[in-house]
Amino acid sequence: MSFLLACPFCGPRPVDEYAYFGEVTTRPSSSPSLRELTDYVYFRDNVAGVQREWWQHRAGCGEWFLADRDTRTNDVLEVMVPEPRKQA
Amino acid sequence: MRLDPRAGERIDRSSAVSFTFAGWKITGFEGDTIASAAFAAGKRVFSRSFKYHRPRGLLCCSGHCPNCQMTVDGVPNVRVCTEPIREGAVVEGQNVRWSLDFDFMSLTDKVGGPFTPVGFYYRTLIRPRAAWPLYEKFLRSAAGLGTLDPRAGHTRRYDTEHRRARVLVVGGGAAGRAAALEAAKAGPGVVLVDEDARNRDLALGGVEVLAPARALGIWEGGLVPVDADTVLYRFRAERIVVATGATEQPLVFPGNDLVGVMLPDGVRRLLRDYSIRPGERAIVLGSDDETLAIADELVDVGVEVAKVVDLRDVRPRELAAQGGKGRVRRLVLDGESYGCDLLVASGGRQPAYSLLAQAGARVAFDDSLGVFVPTELPDGVEAVGSVTGDGLSRIAPEPAYQGNGKCFVCVCEDVTTKDMKRAIGEGFDSIELAKRYTTATMGPCQGKLCHLSSIRVYAEETRMFESAIGTTTARPPWAPVELGLLAGRDLTPARRGSIHWRHEEAGATIQWAGPWLRPYAYGEHPEDEVRAVHESLGVIDVSTLGKLFVEGPEAVQLLERLYPNRFGDLKPGRIRYGVLTSDGGRIMDDGTIARLAEDLFYVTTTSTGADAVTAWFEWWNAVWGYDAEIVNVTGALAAVNLAGPRAREALGRLVDDPDDVSAEDFRYLDAHELEVAGVPTLALRIGFVGELGYELHFPSPAGEHLWDALVAEGAVPFGLEPQRVLRLEKGHVIVGQDTDSESNLYSAGMSWLPKLDKDDFVGKYALEHFAEREEKERLVGFTMEEDVVPAEGAQIVVEGMPVGRVTSARRSDAVGRVIGLAWVPSDRSEDGTRVEIQVDRLRKGARITHGAFFDPDGERMRS
Amino acid sequence: MTPSFLSPALCADGTTTSPLRRALGRDGWSAYLGDPEQVRDVSLQGIVEIRGAVDAVAPEAGEELLRLSPRRGFLFTEANPVEVVARIRATGALAYDATGALAGIAIASEQVMRRLTDLDLDAIPTAGPFARVSALFRRGPDGWFHVYVQQELGHYAAEAVLDALAGLEQTTWR
Repeated sequence: MSFLLACPFCGPRPVDEYAYFGEVTTRPSSSPSLRELTDYVYFRDNVAGVQREWWQHRAGCGEWFLADRDTRTNDVLEVMVPEPRKQA
Repeated sequence: MRLDPRAGERIDRSSAVSFTFAGWKITGFEGDTIASAAFAAGKRVFSRSFKYHRPRGLLCCSGHCPNCQMTVDGVPNVRVCTEPIREGAVVEGQNVRWSLDFDFMSLTDKVGGPFTPVGFYYRTLIRPRAAWPLYEKFLRSAAGLGTLDPRAGHTRRYDTEHRRARVLVVGGGAAGRAAALEAAKAGPGVVLVDEDARNRDLALGGVEVLAPARALGIWEGGLVPVDADTVLYRFRAERIVVATGATEQPLVFPGNDLVGVMLPDGVRRLLRDYSIRPGERAIVLGSDDETLAIADELVDVGVEVAKVVDLRDVRPRELAAQGGKGRVRRLVLDGESYGCDLLVASGGRQPAYSLLAQAGARVAFDDSLGVFVPTELPDGVEAVGSVTGDGLSRIAPEPAYQGNGKCFVCVCEDVTTKDMKRAIGEGFDSIELAKRYTTATMGPCQGKLCHLSSIRVYAEETRMFESAIGTTTARPPWAPVELGLLAGRDLTPARRGSIHWRHEEAGATIQWAGPWLRPYAYGEHPEDEVRAVHESLGVIDVSTLGKLFVEGPEAVQLLERLYPNRFGDLKPGRIRYGVLTSDGGRIMDDGTIARLAEDLFYVTTTSTGADAVTAWFEWWNAVWGYDAEIVNVTGALAAVNLAGPRAREALGRLVDDPDDVSAEDFRYLDAHELEVAGVPTLALRIGFVGELGYELHFPSPAGEHLWDALVAEGAVPFGLEPQRVLRLEKGHVIVGQDTDSESNLYSAGMSWLPKLDKDDFVGKYALEHFAEREEKERLVGFTMEEDVVPAEGAQIVVEGMPVGRVTSARRSDAVGRVIGLAWVPSDRSEDGTRVEIQVDRLRKGARITHGAFFDPDGERMRS
Repeated sequence: MTPSFLSPALCADGTTTSPLRRALGRDGWSAYLGDPEQVRDVSLQGIVEIRGAVDAVAPEAGEELLRLSPRRGFLFTEANPVEVVARIRATGALAYDATGALAGIAIASEQVMRRLTDLDLDAIPTAGPFARVSALFRRGPDGWFHVYVQQELGHYAAEAVLDALAGLEQTTWR
């Protein structure tokens, strides 16, 4: 793995500068059933294709951001800063 | 043997260089390679083959084939045909019993043939099972390449250098040079890499030339590691131009590996570069004009050319080389015999497309040329010159010729046509499987000289088209590379707190603790350091604690949501213990949270948790967007824990007004700002080690000064081991040691901690479920009945069955027993329950206890 | 309480030492003695970490702002960091004295840089990897590369720099 990933703030950098935090998940909003909770905590879609995922530029600016990456080719289609300052 | 001086030769005859070659002293000239000097001195055998120990001589003289691999000054597998000569070098043969010219193990060639077919060791050496180690030992010593001296240590220094190129050209032939010059017109940043030492001083306007150097592969993001001997250049290139040309292929016929059978380019190099007459009587076999033209060159230097066979015209049924003592003596062509000591044979040229294939290009069989060519190049990668197939002649020879003797497809791994056919007969009917079974193409040449041949033989045997068979996957490295070069320098980041050297100076035993180097203890007796803390005063460097500021108008909301604890009611100047859980309800980290002001919190984490906790907080806040900042100040602040009955008195002497630290003004779980020995300090009154104690946090650069001041006040430095004993006496849990990724707050005995009535926090949903169920196991304390210390991880045994495990155990002088923490089944977790613990081979009795072993009411730390 | 206890500038005179004293200092250990022509210790010169509205911070003379993102930055200053922290906090941004948090190594050789980071050196000033740890990079007033790592990694990083320097002097013997 040596592909370049463009940090929204620092520009393209080798992927090993980043920490990967997996695909974006949806946290249950109110007391979920055990099954819903288990789905959220342990299960991932693991798509062969484009998925939205969390990255942090750990060796650089340190900011978290979202990236749409094709898991088959490592092509990164888009990077985004999370929606600004909005409480869930 | 050496010709008179010739125009264009690369040797400097005025400068003699001597070295030893398999015990012989040989003198060559500056500009020679080890192989050319040895060849000029009459040496013909350079190695013994991988499996059959057949003598092998120079074949390609280009650093591709395995035939001239020797051990040079202790470094194995050096290709001496490209290795420059140097004074005093010691060059030795490898994979040899006795000598290069007489190798006992060549018996395997004479008699072993029928008994050692491809893959024989998978089938014949499997019984009895127990004997495999013996077989393996024999096989490993009987076959293979050079050996490394395991005691040699670092024989060379290797460095890594990161480079950038606008255009990186791989290959310095005509096409590569032209592409580099063209690219250089657009500006700087053009680098050309070539494996040939002869291009060392090549001057191309505006182009940086690296030679001899090899591109090892093309990875994502334009990453091209280049092997430049002791430096690995990691190039990031915007554009990569591959001009690796085409590689001459050996002709496949019986006896094709005899010493004296050479590729035309190898002969040309001996002749042109080193002015060596490569033989006395030569035969030339080939199917392209370039190969056949070598006959004239040989005649020019006085070689008798006995026969020239153009394989486009002649279609022999029988074609074989024969010899004596491994050297070629004659060529047999359809029953007629022609004497020779040099057989120049070429099977045509195959584009060297491996780098392109690694980069993602497709490879297709070109029927008009009879070779594989790269197609559909990925973005940013181009190919120029004969690697594309341009200018190549059609491959005309048969895949393999018939005759008596072993007929090699792959000289690296000693794979013959017979082996290939056998593998197909055994059902390895895909080229990838046949490759793995026979190991053809998997030797040091990485398929450069055998990939095409093996597929052609395969096609003929299976009556399939090459285009349908396809190729095997091209993988990096494209050329052999020393592991030391890939490893580079040892860069193991070591974290040392700002007081670290004081510990070294005090003779502390230093150990790794996660990413940190920390004192284990300062003397031979950690128990003495424990006693000092209990009876008088100790000080431990806890700069390794993770330290975070959480600041902002919504800092309290953020923390309320990150921790199961409550913080809204925490008053400024007060401290609370907190445990972080994941959304799965598992314990992640713990520490203290001090509220310094309404919107300013100071959070400590475990020593290994600082980076992970910071990232965790920041991630959640990227999701939630609270108006609060998380700042990791772990390195900015040194921290020491001053603990023991004398702590207040000692600290009082280092502050302006001793009343600042009085029991009334500075209570347990208070956080105060103090100036200690002239250093601005945040003092936290907490008691991890169970005695009256102050955790002092202050600017790192003042670490040594404050440490010295505390030691001068009589504080005894104590290390990690005494701290482990002290905290165990208090039953304090170390997250990650006593808990694991399955532990939750209920099973770990902290059911008082989570506030499930809070709106939301990370882990709340899981903890709600946990709160309603019965935990299967619990973390409890135990005391041993006898004076033995179970190992961490020792089994708890009930009725002969292992049911739990010890996570910590130490001998405590203060308690007078061996104490510990363990996970036990819930039905065995009652206070006073007797269990047995496996200690070595014996079972020893232990009693379950709850709460602290020492000072259970915490009077000492609150005093 | 405020985070003022971060500031080495508030420590009494003579109480602070550089994290690189043993690695690069003149009074350090000779075995680790650096080459003053190639490497220098630039630790304990004022650095302030900024969070929040970075763009509202106006660097003054003798200051350089390393802007990592709209909400993160570092201000290198020749002034007293305690005063600079107060000045920045007055603009509404958060500021923390990072002077004691970082070890600063000034490096003359571009090749040493290339041996320890795959960063595009033209991207400096920026943050990135250095000898397998995270670092801040700027060009010093002297034109040298100034590399800042967490102070607890300073000794390690300085050793890596000295080792890389030694490697430049090695000649290939094969």
